[in-house]
Amino acid sequence: MEDVILAGRCTGCGACVDICPYFGSHMGKTAMLFPCTIARGRCFASCPRAEVDLDLLSEKTFGAPYAEVPVGSHRKIFVSHSGARIGNANYQAGGTVSALLSFVLEKGIIDAAVLVDRQEGLPRPRRITEPQEVLSCASSSFAAVPVISELNRAVRDGYRRIGTVATPCQAVAAALIRINPLNEDEFINPLSFIIGLFCTWALDLRSMTALFSGRGLDLRSVIRCDVPPPPAEKFEIVTGGGKHDIPLQEVRDLTSPACAWCPDMTSEFADVSVGMLEGSAGKNILIIRTPFGEEIAEKAREERYIVLDEIPPEQLRNLERAAAAKKRRALLKLKKEGLLNTARKGKRACFRLRPEILEKLIG
Amino acid sequence: MSLLLKNKEGDKRLLMGNEAIARGAIEAGLAVATGYPGTPSSEIIENLSRISRQAGIYVEWSVNEKVAAEAAAAASFAGLRSLCVMKQNGVNVASDFLLHLAESGTRGGMVLVPCDDPGALSSVNEGDARFFARMLEVPLLEPGDFQEAKDMTRWAFALSEEIRNFVVLRSVTRLSHASGMVSLGKIPRGRTQAQFRHAGALLDPESGPMISCLPGAPQFTHRRQQDKIRTAREIFETSPFNYYEGPRRPEVLIVASSICSLYSREAIAMLGKAGKKCGLLKMGTTWPLPEKFLQKHLSSAEKIVFVEEVLPFLEENVLMLAGRWTQGKGPKSYYGKNSGTLPSYGEMNPDLIAEALGKVLAVRRRPVRPESFAAKAGAFADNAAPRRELTFCPGCPHRASFWSIHSALKLDGREGFVCGDIGCYTLAAFPTGFNSLRTVHSMGSGAGLAGGFGRLRAFGLRQPILAVCGDSTFFHAAVPALINAVHHQADLTMVILDNRGTAMTGFQPHPGLPVNAMQESAPPVEIENICRGIGVETEIRDPFDLKGTRDALLSFLEKKEGARVLILRQACSLSPEKKKKNSFKVRVDENACRGERCGCNRLCTRIFRCPGLYWDNRKQVARIDDVVCAGCGVCASICPAGAILKEDAV
Amino acid sequence: MKPGLKNPFNLIVTGVGGQGNVLASRILGNMLALGGFQITIGETFGASQRGGSVMSHIRISPGSTWSPQIPKGCADAIVALEPAEGVRVLSDYGHDKVCFISNTRPVYPAGVIAGGAVYPPIEEIRSGVLSLVPDALFIDATEEAIKLGRPILGNIVMIGALAATRLLPLDRKKFRVAADKIAGSDSLDYNLKAFDAGRRLFQTAMSRRSRPAYPVTRRS
Repeated sequence: MEDVILAGRCTGCGACVDICPYFGSHMGKTAMLFPCTIARGRCFASCPRAEVDLDLLSEKTFGAPYAEVPVGSHRKIFVSHSGARIGNANYQAGGTVSALLSFVLEKGIIDAAVLVDRQEGLPRPRRITEPQEVLSCASSSFAAVPVISELNRAVRDGYRRIGTVATPCQAVAAALIRINPLNEDEFINPLSFIIGLFCTWALDLRSMTALFSGRGLDLRSVIRCDVPPPPAEKFEIVTGGGKHDIPLQEVRDLTSPACAWCPDMTSEFADVSVGMLEGSAGKNILIIRTPFGEEIAEKAREERYIVLDEIPPEQLRNLERAAAAKKRRALLKLKKEGLLNTARKGKRACFRLRPEILEKLIG
Repeated sequence: MSLLLKNKEGDKRLLMGNEAIARGAIEAGLAVATGYPGTPSSEIIENLSRISRQAGIYVEWSVNEKVAAEAAAAASFAGLRSLCVMKQNGVNVASDFLLHLAESGTRGGMVLVPCDDPGALSSVNEGDARFFARMLEVPLLEPGDFQEAKDMTRWAFALSEEIRNFVVLRSVTRLSHASGMVSLGKIPRGRTQAQFRHAGALLDPESGPMISCLPGAPQFTHRRQQDKIRTAREIFETSPFNYYEGPRRPEVLIVASSICSLYSREAIAMLGKAGKKCGLLKMGTTWPLPEKFLQKHLSSAEKIVFVEEVLPFLEENVLMLAGRWTQGKGPKSYYGKNSGTLPSYGEMNPDLIAEALGKVLAVRRRPVRPESFAAKAGAFADNAAPRRELTFCPGCPHRASFWSIHSALKLDGREGFVCGDIGCYTLAAFPTGFNSLRTVHSMGSGAGLAGGFGRLRAFGLRQPILAVCGDSTFFHAAVPALINAVHHQADLTMVILDNRGTAMTGFQPHPGLPVNAMQESAPPVEIENICRGIGVETEIRDPFDLKGTRDALLSFLEKKEGARVLILRQACSLSPEKKKKNSFKVRVDENACRGERCGCNRLCTRIFRCPGLYWDNRKQVARIDDVVCAGCGVCASICPAGAILKEDAV
Repeated sequence: MKPGLKNPFNLIVTGVGGQGNVLASRILGNMLALGGFQITIGETFGASQRGGSVMSHIRISPGSTWSPQIPKGCADAIVALEPAEGVRVLSDYGHDKVCFISNTRPVYPAGVIAGGAVYPPIEEIRSGVLSLVPDALFIDATEEAIKLGRPILGNIVMIGALAATRLLPLDRKKFRVAADKIAGSDSLDYNLKAFDAGRRLFQTAMSRRSRPAYPVTRRS
């Protein structure tokens, strides 16, 4: 793992944690505790930054190779929000994620969900098995939390229809896990449903704690964080004591350097992806990607867990523009540093994709 | 009855050098013996402590060598004969007091026995304690064999009383830990009554106060101290411990001290005919040097070879004298460590000396065995005899402690480091302790260095800082450093590895235990009480509880200010309580063992490396070696597959 | 008392820290001192006990005190409580005519247990040693000690085997006195059994040979 952890490309997704004794996670950072001599183990196979073959992943997830679509492979895109069946809670925006989770848990489509919990102190991975627990986990954390380590623990504890709410890197790890990356004979896919989140960057927990305590805030007292649309240039924090603003640049300076190599703004390998609809509080963008994702979304709409509306063309264009910009930035950086399609030790590729697609994406 | 007390004068016995020294002290009518455990010296006090009751002597493992020297000096001031024992580094610790003691002088005979460790076989340095004798201006004796180890020790007390100062008797590993034949002497009867006479005139050596130097007036005590050295020099001119053997006019004169005289004698024999050209001047009194005696013998040869352990102490002192001589000199060539004829580091042995003599005599030694054998055997050994790295014993709590410390530092992810100290846990600088220690110096210096690092936050040092020390080391030297760290608010985590004894040197007691050197019960001084009394946040965990230890460490590492102490308490696997029986019966479930597969990659044998575990290459599983396993059960906690099973031993 | 032994006769007992090397050499030294010899034993213990190699150099002389270190290539007899240590000592201190007796059970160094270094199979060690010293002997001392219920007695079994070579005057009576004094009367019974077992193992091995291995010396 000298290519990922030591090279600073680790996003802290937790895919390598709790599948073996060699990796651990603390304060959001993944660390290698002791050296392992296996070159390509389970950690490598599920790491979203270790030679991820985007075509292979696409084929196995969507049945088509990786294409030059800025928001990733999709079937439909809607504007969404939680429906009548769902109560009020501390939603980030439209409450779509919580609604979908409630739906799949109540219907028994999944036996456990792994996501980020914030209510009891610092943001950390959590496993829930009851629909009631969903609402206590609402709101974005903006922190890099090793959610996939909780997925690994759930698998170890015997859960086999797991749902996860994942950031793009975590979604890639989850997507890799479900396609039997090591070609094992007795493979059972433990992952039923991946809800992806939109993401441009994340902070590591230590930086976040330092940032907040520098302002006299305790992370434990935070109810919600938000990045209002430009030209606000603010990072908003809502605590029990009120609202606080931090200049956005200060926060950007503390983002994990690993985020700079990420070409995925919309969690392209999830079943469905959910993000904020800029300029509309109380609404989400919902991207439906896989047939299973479509099935869930439709049923959830039927049973009034979520409401789906058409997305205005301009909003769609904004989304595509933002996603394309992040993708281009990251791919250029990756290409410049020789991290695409290479295999030299110490400089192994983060991603593999067809050169012609790469050219189209970086323009 | 112990050999040390058998009053059979004239009996010949096979004694270890340290036993011979102890016997010599008993034959001198020893009353008090103090010391601090240190290889290769520890057996002297151990032997005396075993017979303390019968012999009516007081034996103490003091908290450190300085206090040991002070306790021995008190006995001497009260008119009793006392012995103070330590390894070479102990003299460094005691030196401040010794310097002053040398000036105040002593009353009852007092002998200081430093045991050097040439080659650093059991030390982290190769110190030479002899230089202290010169600097402190006290006499120095070096026994050359086992009989002398006894006889010189006995005589040293008489010498000490004659000159009214303590005498240094220096031994080395190959004398202290080697054994040879010793003819026993008589054990005196009767006891002296202890009394410290102090009411006399200021400078009265018999009954005045014992003060080292009157400020601004060295002409009294310092000159008196130097007079004592001159007296010793006169005595040494006719000492039977210095003698010559060999031809009247040797081509090469070897000047040797300590065990090197035996090596030199052997080297001379190894050279056969050429050896007959060599003479051996064996020196037993090496400070102050008997000048007339030396001048007489050095004038008999043109080539002089100095053979001694560690530093060229004897060599340079003789050369200093020789530089003054104007008569009987003639052309001379001097060979030794300074000329590169003998190595300036590492311990001596007969082969090195034979080689050196061969060079000086310009002769080649005939090989003692066929060259083909040597080559074939060497190649075979390279293949068939893999190196043995030093490792923690099976069941050692340090292995578990450093497992947690190393893991916690990696998880913390900020390049934290551990300042190490002296004890079994010093091995944690190696793979057995996951290469955790990043500094190692002297007793207590781990805490001192960590305290220093802990004040560098203002200069941008972000790394978490840990210090480790043992329970004995804590009492010996770490307490002042901890006080300093607390008062100066240094940001550090101090981990005290409390294995309930001074383990590396043979498991001697220390003030934290409810027993003393003489196996009597004694009130223990609790480490946590000292820490809390200092006012530092203190937690105690069992290192065998890996999760509890790691969580405590991670939480401590997150703290930003001030020192904190984590005591990891679990008895050494060589302690009496553990040696009796194993806690668990441990075995591997071969079907569950993942071995080399992903998800394990032989964590227990490859990384944890307990000698009780080994890798069965045929079956591709880990197994427990029942002969070696100590039954601590820690490996069961680290196995990712739960394949190592432990059940309570009956 | 001069039974015509080389002056000095150089015996090395070697093994791994914790195998009772020091105890064995003490007992041997005392047995020979009882026989009127001037004995010097050189050994290192301390850090070497923590799984390191240990050696005792025993100098046996009618009247002189020899150095506690034997010169390279000058061992007359090597008793190895552990086979790899036997090989190491053979390479540094042995020669083609040395008397070599070794235990068969390996103590794996940490480097081997961990999988980096390789410890050859005992058959390879045995054949390698035999090619250097045709009269070398390997005995299952630890197995024998396990039968007696205490694996640590392997060192005493080896003493018995050495005694049976009759190269040195090491009889059972002297062993009893020395073992009682040094190891204590509580373990004397076990020690005597182990001593006898070692002698038996040697005699069994010899009876399998076509010719006697060692020159039968004068009565001890």
